[in-house]
Amino acid sequence: MARLSADEKIQPHWWLKTLAGIVLGLTLAYAIVAIFAWYGPGGINAPVKVQFNMWLITPIWLLVLSLSYLFKTGIKAITYLGAANVALYALFFFLRWLS
Amino acid sequence: MKIRGDILRTYQSIHTWTGIVTGLVLFIGFYAGSLSMFEEEISHWATPSSHHLPQIPADKFDELILKASSSFDKAQQDFTVNFNDNLSPLTWSEKGGGRGLQLNHVIRHATLSEQGELVTQANLTNELGDLIDTLHRTAGIAGKIGHEDVGVIVLGIAAILYFIALVSGIIFLLPTLVKSFFALRTNKGANRFWLDSHNLVGIISLPFHFIIAITVVVFAFHDVFYGGLSLAYGDEPLFERGEKSKVEYTIDQLPPIASYLKKVDELTEGYTVKSLDFSGLSSSRPSVGITIINHQAMMRNNTGDFIYMNPYNFEVSFSSVQMNEEDVYTPLVASFFSLHFGGYAGDLGRWLYFIMGLLGAFLFYSGNLLWLEKRRQKQAVQTKANRFMACLTIGVCLGSILAVVTTLLASKWFYLIDVQVNNHYLTCYYLTFFAALTYTFSRGASRSAIHILYALSIACLFIPLTTLLTIALPSLALWEQEPFPSFIFEFVTLVFAAAFYYGALKTKHRAYYGEPNSIWALPVIKVSEDLADKALSSA
Repeated sequence: MARLSADEKIQPHWWLKTLAGIVLGLTLAYAIVAIFAWYGPGGINAPVKVQFNMWLITPIWLLVLSLSYLFKTGIKAITYLGAANVALYALFFFLRWLS
Repeated sequence: MKIRGDILRTYQSIHTWTGIVTGLVLFIGFYAGSLSMFEEEISHWATPSSHHLPQIPADKFDELILKASSSFDKAQQDFTVNFNDNLSPLTWSEKGGGRGLQLNHVIRHATLSEQGELVTQANLTNELGDLIDTLHRTAGIAGKIGHEDVGVIVLGIAAILYFIALVSGIIFLLPTLVKSFFALRTNKGANRFWLDSHNLVGIISLPFHFIIAITVVVFAFHDVFYGGLSLAYGDEPLFERGEKSKVEYTIDQLPPIASYLKKVDELTEGYTVKSLDFSGLSSSRPSVGITIINHQAMMRNNTGDFIYMNPYNFEVSFSSVQMNEEDVYTPLVASFFSLHFGGYAGDLGRWLYFIMGLLGAFLFYSGNLLWLEKRRQKQAVQTKANRFMACLTIGVCLGSILAVVTTLLASKWFYLIDVQVNNHYLTCYYLTFFAALTYTFSRGASRSAIHILYALSIACLFIPLTTLLTIALPSLALWEQEPFPSFIFEFVTLVFAAAFYYGALKTKHRAYYGEPNSIWALPVIKVSEDLADKALSSA
């Protein structure tokens, strides 16, 4: 493996990445769970499903948060996670609009 | 496996900092969690056996309830029916009670004599098991924000960092994982040994740790999560509201106890009923919480599964066991709880969780030691920050264990002096904890580690001695000579007494013969004869 130059390496940017992971990671988790809640097995009214949905938030959120430090810069973390949020919420509202 | 160096370094920093920030509270959460696997047994061990009244045959329960509710107003609303042979058949709250930790909860026990007369007595409940559970959930951090415990929130935040620490730990361990997974290198110095065992324990119990991290975050923040989820639900309600019944019930309409056992048999398979918890019997919202046990099943909690129903018409309002084929989410959700509480595999599962919890505590303790070693200067006097962290690690970790063991030891003595045991437990815990912490900061980490370990060993040794004394001296016989299995508790404390003693010897050896520039080193003092003479002549 060739040695990476200084700007090819991951930059620390602790605060930005952490912030992106906490806020955008959580909203991303909610987007996934919202889609699952309405369109996953059983639909929105299946008994006890609301508890399962609530349980799903944490593992998704924390996994995204933990892996946020892989982005090269803090700005990139915000951009990519933000874009993923927009895409998933667009999908969610589109599906809601369809039904 | 090859991973880019910059990724490794990034995640190594994350692992170090998330670990050092959360290690101490998680340590307490884990070892106390181990003990809380046996919460009911610990409370039962601590409660004088005279507090429990003798059990009655199954067909006498209806007679007992009738007699109790006609003699005591309080027994017309709420009471608990126990089927356990070691507990009183019927109990209800006399004073205090309700949700959460109750230090001044007085319950009245009731039974029938051989002649069929009502016999009752009121006792302060023993909350030792609950207090250990509270220590487990809050790490001993007192106070409340609204109706939430500050400690629960702190542990919830710590669990988020702990999850990140787990992921980062795996990432930066991956390149060397295959090569040195089972390597426990004892010949490369103490430091390498600590690192290897830290990695080994971390990897083998990884699934357990992920489960714990996720469940703790959920336990701490579920209200917040539901709040956010309600936005996604829009106009759909999150929870169905139970229809308010217009019917006012009274206790004389209560069906016989046997009908609940029959109902449980119809609804479930392989479960036996442990207790029935009736509440609001003479009201329009009556409820019975039925605790059921099946050691072959994955139970929501290690103490059992629950079914809540209306006691008059048997309508189930909530259940932790699957009631029909379509209900796929109940067992899934119950399994999350079960994986945290060790509600599967029966007693073997509980002992495994006990050991895993202790190994978890070891993980945080050894992590802190590794951090200290890494920042060590190659000189005899270490930096202030390093010494501070060493003292904090010893004072908090060992101090907290010492405080719990001292409380366990003092428990039986409290009953001999006073009956307000629950408040004494709290005082005893915090006094010992802060005394140990103060001692550590005044005497230094190395010396106090040795001394606290000796103290732990002695305190553990005195628990079975106290038990022997209560058996030997009839005047102290609050606890009847119990059947053999209850000596498990005493046996375990003996094992721990030996372990702490061994730990003290090893720590002492490290202090005098280990790396002299270590934070754990103590100066070797040679007591020569002329020095002793000098001391004598000056006296």
